[in-house]
Amino acid sequence: MRGKSLSRRGIYPFRDEESMESLFLQQVFNGLIVGSLYCLIAIGLTMIFGVMRIANFAHGDFSMLGAYIALYFIVLVSGWFGWIGSMIVAAIGVGIIGFFVERFLFRPLLTRWTDIDIIMLSIGLFILLENGARLVFGPTPKMIPDPFSHKSIDLFLVSTSVIRLLCFFFSCVAILLLQLFLTKTKMGVAIRATSQNRNAALLMGINIGFIYSLTFVVGSALAGFGGVLYGTTFAIFPTMGAMPTLKAFAITILGGMGNIRGAIFGGFILGVAETLGGNYISMQYKNAIGFVIIILVLLIIPHGLFGGKQKS
Amino acid sequence: MSEKIFRIVLGMVVCISLFIYGGRVNAADPIPIGILGPFTGSIAFNAEEMKKGMMLAVDEIDAKGGIFGRKIELIFGDTEAKPDKGVAAVKKLITRDKVLVVGGGYASSVNIATSEVCQNERIPIVVAIAISPTITNRGFDYVFRTSPNSPQFLTGINDWLLKVKKPKTVAFLMENTDYGRDGEKIWSAQAKKIGAKELAHLYFEIGDADFTTQITKLKELKPDVTFNIASTTEASLIQKQAKELNFVTQWIGVGGQFTEAYFKMSGALCQYAMGSSLEPTLAMKNPLVADFVKRYEAKYQKARPGIFSSQGYDNIMVLMDAMKRTGKLTGDLQKDRDAIKEALRKTSIELTQGKIEFDKNGQVYTVFPSVVQVQMVDGTPQLFIIYPPERASATYKTPLPWDQRK
Repeated sequence: MRGKSLSRRGIYPFRDEESMESLFLQQVFNGLIVGSLYCLIAIGLTMIFGVMRIANFAHGDFSMLGAYIALYFIVLVSGWFGWIGSMIVAAIGVGIIGFFVERFLFRPLLTRWTDIDIIMLSIGLFILLENGARLVFGPTPKMIPDPFSHKSIDLFLVSTSVIRLLCFFFSCVAILLLQLFLTKTKMGVAIRATSQNRNAALLMGINIGFIYSLTFVVGSALAGFGGVLYGTTFAIFPTMGAMPTLKAFAITILGGMGNIRGAIFGGFILGVAETLGGNYISMQYKNAIGFVIIILVLLIIPHGLFGGKQKS
Repeated sequence: MSEKIFRIVLGMVVCISLFIYGGRVNAADPIPIGILGPFTGSIAFNAEEMKKGMMLAVDEIDAKGGIFGRKIELIFGDTEAKPDKGVAAVKKLITRDKVLVVGGGYASSVNIATSEVCQNERIPIVVAIAISPTITNRGFDYVFRTSPNSPQFLTGINDWLLKVKKPKTVAFLMENTDYGRDGEKIWSAQAKKIGAKELAHLYFEIGDADFTTQITKLKELKPDVTFNIASTTEASLIQKQAKELNFVTQWIGVGGQFTEAYFKMSGALCQYAMGSSLEPTLAMKNPLVADFVKRYEAKYQKARPGIFSSQGYDNIMVLMDAMKRTGKLTGDLQKDRDAIKEALRKTSIELTQGKIEFDKNGQVYTVFPSVVQVQMVDGTPQLFIIYPPERASATYKTPLPWDQRK
């Protein structure tokens, strides 16, 4: 605020230091908001990978499905109540879809000796969902109506909109709830145990089949929930899942494959790195930053920031 | 063993019969016309608008007995708005579907590549939507374009900037494609002419959703005018995020963003946005255009014809007109294509965008877009021509701060 008012009055013809500082803070803040959305999608991807060793290329398309479910729900219930309700409905809806996809598509392939089948299946699913969505919902992009009509607010040195702040809040809540679920509940501990060592978990009497379903459902539900927030902040169209999927893979590699804490930090790091890189290096290479990070991480710390030594 | 032989024989029979079937041309068969466009991908809905205009043209021609008694068949080649996919699609249209001519096209980068293929294969291509000057300035004699190129598109706006707006500072926010970079080149030259300071040249990629980084930077620089060279989705996301970050500027786009979907998505957010346009609904005084709008709305319920519907319609009409003027089709593909190319050169036809005549490069030079601004009428955004004065239907309004807008 201080910096802005000075330059606005024209006391300093050039951008002063405080203004530069507020620009930096604003960009970091923008990055955190976008990063929180990346997190939601990346956590599901990394969970599913950690537990089931499935690299699900269709993961972002579950977000797309969530966004469309929300869009149809909001037609029924309008206003901010509809918006919050649509998140829950989308999470449940995509969770159910995830259950069936896991049970009838991925599960039969898990016993095969190669991962290629699973990768091909997930790529096929990605193509099917994207084109199916175009057929069913049409190619025209749509927006979830903002109950706060894009009103902007100023917070100390940065400005943002009410809806973005709420999206940030809800994604942080979802991440916290997931953490509580994974650390405080028996089922959560079982998921982590399976992720750490499948055979040991089996010997401890954990029902692996159930854990697979649960992980896939929770991961998909998170993606669906993230999709609603993504669709609210940006727009909804059949191909909207492609970019988040790529970003989520970058985050997963950055944080360590299968590591949930890594995905959370990775998401925020990528979000901030993109905005700062875009601002200070070059806008043209904003999207490339994620992929440069992948290459650097794979070269220098192949197990990711939080990966540790992985046992195969 | 015998089963294996049987399978091989069966496979060969199927292949050969396909060849025989594919190679036969019947006098009563429909005339195949290749149409390129990004029918899937992030700008598919705009291609859909073009397709609607084209199908209306085909219906009208077929209703009048077709061309030389034959119906028209449009064969669509999907470019996905990517040059490599476009080249594959146009090659398929030429070699496998053996189309007589190629029309459609959308996105400059794609058309630069596909038109070169057509030139090499000696097949006439008439580009419907794409404004990069490169498409028609390479001396290719098989390449035509029914859309104005970017200098033609921006003449009006440049005039307005020089004589009316006189901005002191400008900034650029554009697609990292030929569409974006060509617009940037023209406006950058104009800014130098006006003496406006260019504060920033910011790019984004097609399919980007988050523009807060760019808008934050722009907000810091406070340009009087921000040139926003984007398509529908990106343009409306930019409007939305500008409000969220409380950034006010005079947005000026090329005009390709003003589609039905754009107004649906951005609603009141796009108030004051400007661009060049050939919107048919703005030229209703012209009976020819008014009639087109009426027929379009009759064919597609609840749809409003946009610039792309009109450009698609005109594209097909120009092709059909040239084909008709060749007199007859000989059946020899290359001869017919050359005859159509020559006929296209002599095109002079009044259509929905205006009169269509090609210069020696195959570029239409008789279509003049107007400068438009989005203004609110009873809470709904509508386009108004604000320049040149003789065509204007409203006066220019300076963008107000967000909290003073209704």
